[in-house]
Amino acid sequence: MNKSILSISIHSAWVFILTTNIVFAAMLPNNIEWLTNTDSLEWSSKDAQKGGLLRLNISSFPPTLRTVGPDSNNSFRSFLLDNQMPLVDMHPNTGEIIPMLASHWAYDADGKTVYYKIKDNARWSDGLPVTADDFLFALKFNRSKDIVAPWYNKHFSEEIIDVIKYDSRTIAIVGARKKPNKDLHYYYSIQPKAEHFHKLNIQWVSKFNWKIEPNTGPYQITKIRKGKTIEFNRKPDWWAQDDRFLRNRFNVDKVLIKTVRDPNTAFKYFERGELDVFNLTIPKLWHEKSNGPMFKKGFIHKLSFYNQVEQGASGLFLNLDNTILQDINVRKAIAHGLNFDKIIKQLLRNDYQRLPTFHTGYGDYSNNEIKPLDFSLKKAAALLDSLGWDNKDHLGIRKKGQNRLSFTISYGNKLHEPQIIVLAEEAKKAGIELIPQFLESTSFYKNVIEKKHDIAWLGWSTGFRPAYWQHFHSDNAHKAQTNNITNLADPTIDGLINKYRQSTVELERIQLAHQLESKIAAQTIFIPSTMAPFTRAGFWRWLKLPKADATKTSQSLFNPFHPTQGGLFWIDAKSKIDSLSAKRSGKGFEASTIINTDYQVVKP
Amino acid sequence: MPVSPEHTSREQGPWQKFKRLKRGYYSFILLCSLILISCFAELIFNSKAIVVQYQTNLYWPVFSSAIEGKEFGLPYEYETNYRQLKKDWAKDSSSHSNFVILPLIPYNATEVDLADGSYPPQPPNIASQHYLGTDTIGRDVLVRLVYGFRIAIFFAITLLLVEYFFGVLIGCFMGFLGGTFDIIFQRIIEVWSNIPFLYIVMIMSSLITPGFWSLVFIMALFGWMSMTWYMRSASYKEANRDYVLAAKMMGASNFRIIYKHIIPNAMSTIITFIPFSVAGGITALTALDFLNFGLPAPAPSWGELLKQGVDNLDYPWIISSVVFSLSFVLMLVTFIGEGIREVFDPKHKIYYE
Repeated sequence: MNKSILSISIHSAWVFILTTNIVFAAMLPNNIEWLTNTDSLEWSSKDAQKGGLLRLNISSFPPTLRTVGPDSNNSFRSFLLDNQMPLVDMHPNTGEIIPMLASHWAYDADGKTVYYKIKDNARWSDGLPVTADDFLFALKFNRSKDIVAPWYNKHFSEEIIDVIKYDSRTIAIVGARKKPNKDLHYYYSIQPKAEHFHKLNIQWVSKFNWKIEPNTGPYQITKIRKGKTIEFNRKPDWWAQDDRFLRNRFNVDKVLIKTVRDPNTAFKYFERGELDVFNLTIPKLWHEKSNGPMFKKGFIHKLSFYNQVEQGASGLFLNLDNTILQDINVRKAIAHGLNFDKIIKQLLRNDYQRLPTFHTGYGDYSNNEIKPLDFSLKKAAALLDSLGWDNKDHLGIRKKGQNRLSFTISYGNKLHEPQIIVLAEEAKKAGIELIPQFLESTSFYKNVIEKKHDIAWLGWSTGFRPAYWQHFHSDNAHKAQTNNITNLADPTIDGLINKYRQSTVELERIQLAHQLESKIAAQTIFIPSTMAPFTRAGFWRWLKLPKADATKTSQSLFNPFHPTQGGLFWIDAKSKIDSLSAKRSGKGFEASTIINTDYQVVKP
Repeated sequence: MPVSPEHTSREQGPWQKFKRLKRGYYSFILLCSLILISCFAELIFNSKAIVVQYQTNLYWPVFSSAIEGKEFGLPYEYETNYRQLKKDWAKDSSSHSNFVILPLIPYNATEVDLADGSYPPQPPNIASQHYLGTDTIGRDVLVRLVYGFRIAIFFAITLLLVEYFFGVLIGCFMGFLGGTFDIIFQRIIEVWSNIPFLYIVMIMSSLITPGFWSLVFIMALFGWMSMTWYMRSASYKEANRDYVLAAKMMGASNFRIIYKHIIPNAMSTIITFIPFSVAGGITALTALDFLNFGLPAPAPSWGELLKQGVDNLDYPWIISSVVFSLSFVLMLVTFIGEGIREVFDPKHKIYYE
């Protein structure tokens, strides 16, 4: 009896909540200040011409056109996601917030909520307007079990607490934690989903595999030849084509993406003129392979562009659970015994650089004062001698009592093997033995995350802001399945990390980041390896770029779609006709290799 | 009734017979010399000098522990670079009484030879004594082939000994004892043979870093079965022979009968299989190394060289060296095997009374 009364009352409570939601629409707070940006400089070129065809290649045909769910995390997905405009983005040169899908934004006093006004003319590719409901639906969509994407389900429930509609063009996104205002856009961003298009049910994953989802960006897929090509066409009257920061961009009419499995074959296609651009970041491609007749005759130009993007923290991670490595001077001696100069000069053709510190390329957050310890056998020997590592065994490895100065250096990627072997050969000269240990990638990951390594060679992917807690806080030391793989547990560093995490004032966070970075570097638990602070490409001469070539944060020179970095190039129709006729008649032009160092931070 | 091999030896022993088969015999001599050379590889392919005369002292770096540069008046405290030392002393006339005798090819298998301005791999070059060029890291291809050969051939021989020891023993007991023992082992072998070997190796090498002995262990674990069937049928046949029954009557133990009577009589079967097992062992190790499941870097290995060669077809000296060596050694082994089979071929041997 009692039970039924209870259930009725709960039921009526739900009805009450639902009805209030319908009757009283949410009200915007009065005290918010709407912001926009119409001052920042544009980075596109007014000379850009519209028209033409760009042909690119991918190594495998996408298994699906969905951007979430099984198999969706493939290399093709970025072409789809880049064609979904974000609400706002960061200026690629200055880092200021610039409008994209939203014209205005405002911050709530609670430090977790951002309000957005969606541009009036924002349209889906099928012509329907983008409304607040599409954002509400996006939240529902990303939380739905039907999309079979647990990470999304979790992220959009635990990190993004709510999306609130105020009117058809005004929304708020509520995040879980306080952040500096500017960071809120990054951490709590959500892309709209076309509510009129998706039917969420258990069959969504299979039914929407090959459906072309409406988007808000400059291009849309028009033709698919399964296993072979995907064709994107520029929308003839894209709603944002005259908007500041988006005009004079996205110039080519058609982008054809071809599947070419083998990179060597793809390069041959490129040299034959069947692809327009080719990424040449790998030293072998840039220095050796790109010297054929088409390059020498000036049909294909080469451009190397130094950028300033977050660099992955790659190098050697020393495990403090190893008793010998607990001595900071042993760690320093190891750092002095690693000949990265030789690797850069003689293996990497002098165009990679030494990575200075763990967080490099994070803009103001990076501490640019820090330099890694230099290669010096003398310094290494002096340190080790003073610690009593002064005996040597028959191989020339230092000994102290019964202990040999020998460590395994684990790695999970064969690409790094040459570097590790050269380092180990050189370290021997300092009396330090480094035994390379290749582990197949999953067992390497397991080994490291369970902290069973002596020294591990790996690189972390980058984030938006420096992340200290996961890598260096004692909360994560001596525990399996955490990212503090050096087991650093230092009370001063802990204190600074806590402050850094709690602070919502950008300037204070930047100062703390600088302090933390130098304190962590002083511990010598991470010995940085190398970085390639540039992107390089070869391109047929009819492709033109703005005067600056690219932006400070460009990761690729010929990205066709990216909302901030993409679509800066255009095709010069006359140049293409001239070039093709010159090619037929066997004539040539002046060869061109440009190295743009405008944004190079550390000039060697 | 067939006559035991001892009768045929009146005419010609198997060795004499083998010697007459020129192709197999010369292959055997060639392979044995290759193995012998590889055993003394440290004296021929090494970055350490064989003899150094400095002032009044003689040094034997190949046979001694690392000698630091300062020992020869050089300004460093790590192992001497003897190639450089030789060059320096050749230039310097005041040190005419000093000399360095380097091995024929002055590089070792893991040494990285890099130079400013040129990037590995380097094509074959007589001046720098890289007769087959260097690999993608800058290590001498010829030296790595030699040391890789030594590892591969001894791996194959060790594997063969382990596999044959268990395979022959179990097979003989199955045939000789028969009954329940036979049935049980037949089923075990059938089940065991159906476990996909490559997957097991992949799993194992993800759990441990494979080494020489652990690889021998893993491969023997899945390789002993093939011999059992042949030995089972051989001993099954022999078990009812008069001499076995006679031995039994005299009270010989099962072990004694198998080792003293059955195995010597089944020897021809075992010997015939040996060359093919060696070839199998070499290819298996090469394949595992090729797939990254073999010996850990930087151990010299043919599989690793093969992988490098396939990935870098632009540098033909890598792939051609290793493919030629591999085919050559496997060809030698096959010719030897062919010769042995010929020697023990019952068609030539058995005659009827």
